[in-house]
Amino acid sequence: MLRLKNGRLYDPAHGVDGVVRDLYVDRGRLVAEPGPGLPLDGEIDLAGRIVMAGAIDLHTHIGGGKMNIARALLPEDHRRDPVPAADGMHAGCGHAAPSTWTTGYRYAEMGYTACFEPAMLPTNARHTHLEMGDIPMVDKGAYAMLGSDDFFLRLLAAGSDQQLINDYVGWTLHASQAMAIKVVNPGGISAFKFNARGLDLDEPHPYYGITPRKVIQTLSRAVHELGVAHPLHVHASNLGVPGNADTTLATMAAAEGLPIHLTHIQFHSYGTEGERRFSSEAERIADAINRMQNVSADVGQILFGQTVTASGDTMKQYANHRHAHPDKWVVADMECDAGCGVVPFKYKDKNFVNALQWAIGLELFLRVGDPWRIFLTTDHPNGAPFTSYPHLIRLLMDRDFRNSKLDEIHPDAAAHSQLRSLEREYSLYEIAVMTRAAPARSLGLADRGHLGEGAAADIVVYRDEADREAMFARPEYVFKDGELIVRDGRVVNVVNGALHAVKPEYDKGIEQSLRDYFERYMTMSMEHVKVKDDEICACGASTLIPHACGRRA
Amino acid sequence: MGTEPALCGPFLIHRHDRVFESCCPFCGLVCDDVRVEVEASGVRVERPDCARARSLFAVPATGQSRIGGQPVEAIAALRAAAALLAQARRPLIGGLACDVAGQRAALDLAERVGGVVEHMNGAAQFRNWLAFQDSGWMTTTLSEVRNRADLIVFAGTDASRFPRFFERCIDAGSQFGPLERTVITLGATPAGGRGTAHAIEPVDLAALFADLRIRLAGGTGAPNGIGGVPAATLDALLASMKAARYGVLVWNAAELDFPHADLTVQAMVELVRDLNRETRWAGLPLGGSDGDTSASQVCTWRTGYPLRVGFDPAGPRYEPLLFEASRLLAAGEADTLLWVSVFDPARTPPETACPRIVLGRPDMRLDAMGPQDVFIPVAVPGVHHAGILHRMDGVVSLPLQGPSPSALFSAAQALAAIQREMTHAAA
Repeated sequence: MLRLKNGRLYDPAHGVDGVVRDLYVDRGRLVAEPGPGLPLDGEIDLAGRIVMAGAIDLHTHIGGGKMNIARALLPEDHRRDPVPAADGMHAGCGHAAPSTWTTGYRYAEMGYTACFEPAMLPTNARHTHLEMGDIPMVDKGAYAMLGSDDFFLRLLAAGSDQQLINDYVGWTLHASQAMAIKVVNPGGISAFKFNARGLDLDEPHPYYGITPRKVIQTLSRAVHELGVAHPLHVHASNLGVPGNADTTLATMAAAEGLPIHLTHIQFHSYGTEGERRFSSEAERIADAINRMQNVSADVGQILFGQTVTASGDTMKQYANHRHAHPDKWVVADMECDAGCGVVPFKYKDKNFVNALQWAIGLELFLRVGDPWRIFLTTDHPNGAPFTSYPHLIRLLMDRDFRNSKLDEIHPDAAAHSQLRSLEREYSLYEIAVMTRAAPARSLGLADRGHLGEGAAADIVVYRDEADREAMFARPEYVFKDGELIVRDGRVVNVVNGALHAVKPEYDKGIEQSLRDYFERYMTMSMEHVKVKDDEICACGASTLIPHACGRRA
Repeated sequence: MGTEPALCGPFLIHRHDRVFESCCPFCGLVCDDVRVEVEASGVRVERPDCARARSLFAVPATGQSRIGGQPVEAIAALRAAAALLAQARRPLIGGLACDVAGQRAALDLAERVGGVVEHMNGAAQFRNWLAFQDSGWMTTTLSEVRNRADLIVFAGTDASRFPRFFERCIDAGSQFGPLERTVITLGATPAGGRGTAHAIEPVDLAALFADLRIRLAGGTGAPNGIGGVPAATLDALLASMKAARYGVLVWNAAELDFPHADLTVQAMVELVRDLNRETRWAGLPLGGSDGDTSASQVCTWRTGYPLRVGFDPAGPRYEPLLFEASRLLAAGEADTLLWVSVFDPARTPPETACPRIVLGRPDMRLDAMGPQDVFIPVAVPGVHHAGILHRMDGVVSLPLQGPSPSALFSAAQALAAIQREMTHAAA
């Protein structure tokens, strides 16, 4: 048993806000104080240190086909950040589209212990699990993408009842070993295959005739009724389009009060004011989130520099290709399932649009009052590589620093933004909410994201430095399932992580029509789409952690 | 994730006594509707009628390790391989025709010995990768072709190296109702024996596609046509391409076998992009045979680069031109060759001055083995053991079954065993 004594704990799941308390770790778990007489194997004095649960990233593109396309596309970016093999760690590359090994090491070195890939195509699920299997250190999970797959759109167009849709969604979660369901530009990826270049929330799909609103209503209900913890994860229509804030608000309403998560909402909070016809609607979006308790969001903050955008949204990525930097890009249609678009991007602080995007993201963070419903993401790598999180945390916690950066951006963008007037500074407690307790609760990870008895001993210890960027970049200690894995911001012990997947109940009768559909129209059989439980470890995860779902219908 | 890849055995789907539904690893289509029967003499393909599958599923379950052509115990061969790699300064880990577990093990070994990794189909792969890394592209996958393609243009290939391509992707049903498909071949013989063929040498295709781009942009194309294809034909071809609802341009980089063919690929993908301003088009690069898609996928996620990577002390080093296998061997820049080839016994290692370690199918025959050359027979994924293999489009990876177990090591196990012997010897 290990005692971590005298640390100052931030454990929002239990309302603990900077209380000095000892923690006891035994066989990978946090346990109660054992009482006198039980011998300790070790003890670390954490006086003056800050202690939090391991951080959880609920939206980060760490693995899967589109990330491999992004990697292969960017040798010049990798060359600037080669990673040698050392201390039991594999060689690889870093920066915008890091290798799988390096992804795991660098997440752990920042105190992250679980990462969730938000865009797994079911027909690409086996590949995604192979990639994630080579991401060490952290637990992993993935969200299956639905909403532009032809099987679903056929069901919807045929007016199938909700129960049948639920069975298909349940089947998909099992078949792809997923943790949640994501919808990307609902119906729009499919519409692009029929040569549509836009699809508004209430616009009928060019072939199926159904609307994106209908897709959202149906899928959010399915996810809810199946009892999946994480709400439908929505990449809304009209990403990046000036004036899309209206679509975003209408998308929130489309859930009709059911839980809904809007992802990278920064890219969906744009207006058309001003002479450049591009403006911030962060206030209106944040007000809506504040008002609607069924809505959560992650920000998708942009930060300046070279990165690469990788998205299932082929329709919008095709439209964005003219901004590619360097000028090369990939768009692919995939298996009547979805698609992917990869466009390298360089966000510049002297560019009006980019500078305003930066300010909009920060405004959203500062205007949404409840840190339990807004999550810290850069939509890695789309807004910025995940390695910029410590910088982002400092922007949120340190107003002087934030304003000094505001002085550097395009002056018109700074003038158009109300960012300077926002005085809020995030507290350590709020940071612990948005990076630990809230994502764990949103995903239904009962034993992660907190420091209570019985929790997995994923623990991070920071020095209390005034420079929060430095502090969050180099934790003094990181423990994963009770093992010390990082010391002073450097991996000291390579471990493997588990795969989390939900296991809702559904009627397996759906397989009859699926088998027939794949037989008639696809180039792989239904049986081979399914990733079986025992494939997960062969793909590389340490173990499969199934999460039961409490059916709500 | 470690260096000891477990063989995963959960992939048996339907088993009726000795009959198995199986995925076929022997070309880039990785057809998953194959039925094989295991007989005393080996594995027999019941369906479909694919000559390539029939011949390659038949493989003995045992094999003989050799050093310098002489039979040896398996462990002696592993030790000899370990000793060669321990002495090597820059080994070339080549061939790489194996499943995902084998790719992982090969990269582990390459990292340990500071080797360069390159696939036996590297010349073809890099015609695509060079174009991809310079401009990107718009592509599609097999099921999309099957369901959506109304015009398919074959450029410099008739797809016959992928025996069931037409059966699986062109002649099969579409969920969007009957498709009036048009097939046009830019080459000598009409692909699939249908549609029109316009005879043109592959080397002239780049000029042809560049000319089509000019015409598409409203410019004046070559008045006398390109490579024997008359100007009027080019105009007609472009008109059909513009009229397609979902057009697919198919090429096979292996058949674009001339210098700077990456520029031909680039000309094709740039035309595809331009056509997408008005209608939908996508490229379909054929390939993926001999595990080459898995090789580049695994290498990409582990290093960032799609092969031709050397493991230098400072980290992976990518040299898409310098790390071409035949150049490394001819220049003496590689001093040991490790060759992995588990799918096709005809894909033997190149002749070279340096010592060779061959992990090959048990029925592979090496005619001229040098005195130091080592042959280690390995099992065939999809026949002897389970595994995972990517299809040519890279999106789909399929579970291979092992209907006829063998006592031989898999490639992954043999590569891990060589690493183990290196560790023992070092200790």
